[in-house]
Amino acid sequence: MRRLLDKIKPHFDKEGRLANYHALYEMVDTFLYTPADTTRSAPHVRDAIDLKRLMGYVVVALIPCILWSWYNTGYQANLALQASGITPQGWRSDLLLWLGFGFDPDNIPACSLHGLLYFLPIYLTTLAVGGCWEVLFALVRKHEVNEGFLVTSMLFALTLPPDMPLWMVALGISFGVVIGKEIFGGTGKNFLNPALVGRAFLYFAYPVEISGDSVWVAVDGYSRATPLGLGALGGLDAIGADDYTWWHAFIGLIPGSLGETSTLACLLGAVFLIYTKVASWRIILGVFLGMLLTVQLFNMLPDSNPMMAMPWHWHLVLGGFAFGMVFMATDPVSAAMTNAGRWVFGLLIGFMTVLIRVMNPAFPEGIMLAILFANIFAPLIDYVVIQLNIRRRLQRHD
Amino acid sequence: MKRVNSKILLAPIVDNNPIILQVLGICSALAVTTKLSTALTMCIALTLVLACSNTLISLIRHHIPTHIRIIVQMTIISSLVIVVDQLLRAFAYEISRELSVFVGLIITNCIVMGRAEAFAMKNPPWPSFLDGLGNGAGFSVILIIVGTIRELLGSGTLLGHVILPLTRNGGWYEPNGLMLLPPSAFFLIGLIIWVVRSWKPAQVEAPEFRIQPAHNLTEVGR
Amino acid sequence: MIESPQTMNHSVSNRKILGIALAVCLVCSLIVATAAVTLKPLQTANQLAARQRVLVELAGLNLPDSSIEAAYRQFDVYMVELDSGETRQGLSAENFDLKQALRKEEWSSPLARTDDPANIRRKPKYLPVYQLRNRDGSLGTLILPVFGYGLWSTLYGFIALDGDLRTVKGIRFYEHGETPGLGGEVDNLGWLARWRGKVVFDDNWQPRIELVKGNVSDDMPDHQYKVDGLSGATMTTRGINDLLKYWLGDTGFGPYLLRLRQQHSNKGGNNETS
Repeated sequence: MRRLLDKIKPHFDKEGRLANYHALYEMVDTFLYTPADTTRSAPHVRDAIDLKRLMGYVVVALIPCILWSWYNTGYQANLALQASGITPQGWRSDLLLWLGFGFDPDNIPACSLHGLLYFLPIYLTTLAVGGCWEVLFALVRKHEVNEGFLVTSMLFALTLPPDMPLWMVALGISFGVVIGKEIFGGTGKNFLNPALVGRAFLYFAYPVEISGDSVWVAVDGYSRATPLGLGALGGLDAIGADDYTWWHAFIGLIPGSLGETSTLACLLGAVFLIYTKVASWRIILGVFLGMLLTVQLFNMLPDSNPMMAMPWHWHLVLGGFAFGMVFMATDPVSAAMTNAGRWVFGLLIGFMTVLIRVMNPAFPEGIMLAILFANIFAPLIDYVVIQLNIRRRLQRHD
Repeated sequence: MKRVNSKILLAPIVDNNPIILQVLGICSALAVTTKLSTALTMCIALTLVLACSNTLISLIRHHIPTHIRIIVQMTIISSLVIVVDQLLRAFAYEISRELSVFVGLIITNCIVMGRAEAFAMKNPPWPSFLDGLGNGAGFSVILIIVGTIRELLGSGTLLGHVILPLTRNGGWYEPNGLMLLPPSAFFLIGLIIWVVRSWKPAQVEAPEFRIQPAHNLTEVGR
Repeated sequence: MIESPQTMNHSVSNRKILGIALAVCLVCSLIVATAAVTLKPLQTANQLAARQRVLVELAGLNLPDSSIEAAYRQFDVYMVELDSGETRQGLSAENFDLKQALRKEEWSSPLARTDDPANIRRKPKYLPVYQLRNRDGSLGTLILPVFGYGLWSTLYGFIALDGDLRTVKGIRFYEHGETPGLGGEVDNLGWLARWRGKVVFDDNWQPRIELVKGNVSDDMPDHQYKVDGLSGATMTTRGINDLLKYWLGDTGFGPYLLRLRQQHSNKGGNNETS
């Protein structure tokens, strides 16, 4: 393989026949092998770590979430099949029966395989469609295909409900990559998180397919609200009435988007990201504290809707809060860059998330919009931090 | 003279488009383009106001004292807008209800004031009239494109006729809800600007600043 | 062709400025006033026709050969005092403006939060009702105005009942600001058609009609009381449930409907004399 790549390399160099397709060669070459030259300029991270390794670390950190998404998606589906008595139909169930796994919710491999059959089509669609856009722009602009896309595609797929139609997945990632990233000049120049831009597009374009009650369990004709959705309507009583406990939500045995259900898996990822210094602990802590403080404030106010009284430890484990806090808010490109700015950025996300969850009657979940909102403010936050710093230093010298 | 006039009329359609080059009149472009019918009505209303206000202001341009020229322009424009609004309410009631305040808001549409101040105050009536017509057409082209895309993708219809039958009515097309919300017009106008500026690179603005090459940065940093 | 700005006279006297300003104002106000006055009758006719059209369509009167106005004249319109359920002779229903009535002290009264499930803040004292009689003089259709808060906006509409005062003939919201594609689907003709034949009251004349999640099929228990909710629009669905309960119950048209039923049974289905 190495020899093959080396042999065809001259064709893709500046004078070669296939110079226009250099980007393609570069992508295949460096995805498979450690590149000879590592990132020299640092448009994204003001840090010494190579971009490729950095993105690799994020994917590693996502492994608990990915594995859990397989298991839990299958578990929820099998549970629903058992409870409702619906006979599963379609190629997935045919394959499962053919392999002899069946639909037993207590059988961990059966659940994981069932979930994998939902995760894979979504992920592969994301990768194929988004990858085409990446390559197209790389060819036209004559730059390299960025590894950042591997992370973006994984994050995007994990934020979708398991039942999402694949053409919507394709449309969502197209919007995310093109509008969220490429029109601003590609990786490193986007001020919004492309995965979230894609998701937000789907959220507003096809709200019935990505919110509400019927999309979270991968069984046709079976609807079960997420605990967060229940909480928005009836508070903790409604969540308890559906037999969900805090531990269910913490471990992730609840319906929801593919990768967001398990707070535990997200926290494992967080430990890894903080240990390797890929993610800023200031942002993660900032989001958490912002949420904590805002929830305390709402808890003190008189109840005017069921979410007002929900305590912070529930906010932490419901919906996509943990996933957004660990993986989305910490995206080094679209987050604030200064240390003080990171605190402000994180606090803003935590505050906005709770504000949307509690006060907006239309959206039970708020973390996606909160992060996009804070992304827009990140350059401003950094600017203020830097200007304050300059003024302080000037005063010191006066 | 003839060629100059046709240039006045045609330049605002692509080369000096009020929306995509001057980025004026965005507010109404967002608000009234959910349906093609409202977009069309708005185009006619604005073009009418623009052509009339340009002509009238040009006619009396030598008599308008500079001290109060803005307020005189405003008075003429708002009178025209009120008349158009009243006409719509009398003869196109359903559409005027859907347009609600946005006809009235033509008064604050920067294109009208902008053309009055930039062109009609300095030119004779006939070119001013053509300038108003041309700018109205430039505004209309964008509104019609945006309105067509939004109505087609958002509701599956064009001027109320079903083009793409919706799934909820038994068809195959799943409507795109984002197209019914104002931000989609932002995206569409942005994409149009992208296309036009790729086609005519002369419209690309000079960057406000350039990023220094990386090796300089590291030197400064040390 | 382009004139230099110097040709414009910069040094004009105050008198001239005043004169020009006055002249411009005068001409403009003349034009505006003429337009407003001459077009006023057309505009009011349009407004009236728009409201009448909703009612005529709801009652199913929209025959191709009859104009809206002629069809509308078949209605008997009464102003109803909500608390007592009596019809009031002296009040004109034609000029009744709901939104203005909600602002005026003598036409409406404030509601306490706890008595206000439909979230309307003020309850009007009088509302117009529209009756349509069959050939034999019995009540054919009764149309009641209803309104209440959804997700973002107040939904204003009418519900039309058959002569049995129990079966839905149709429902229509003529003004609202709900999310297009979600709550905005209250305008979807397919959804509106599903209301036909539903039953709003149970056997004890308590409001029973309800929007439920998902699709209502005919083999469901109590399906006559249930209508498909709007998918993805929980709050609008809930708002419609609340406003129907409010307006059909004792808080709304309950007393009036009770009176109608009593008259109906007293006179054996004969004319209502009010």
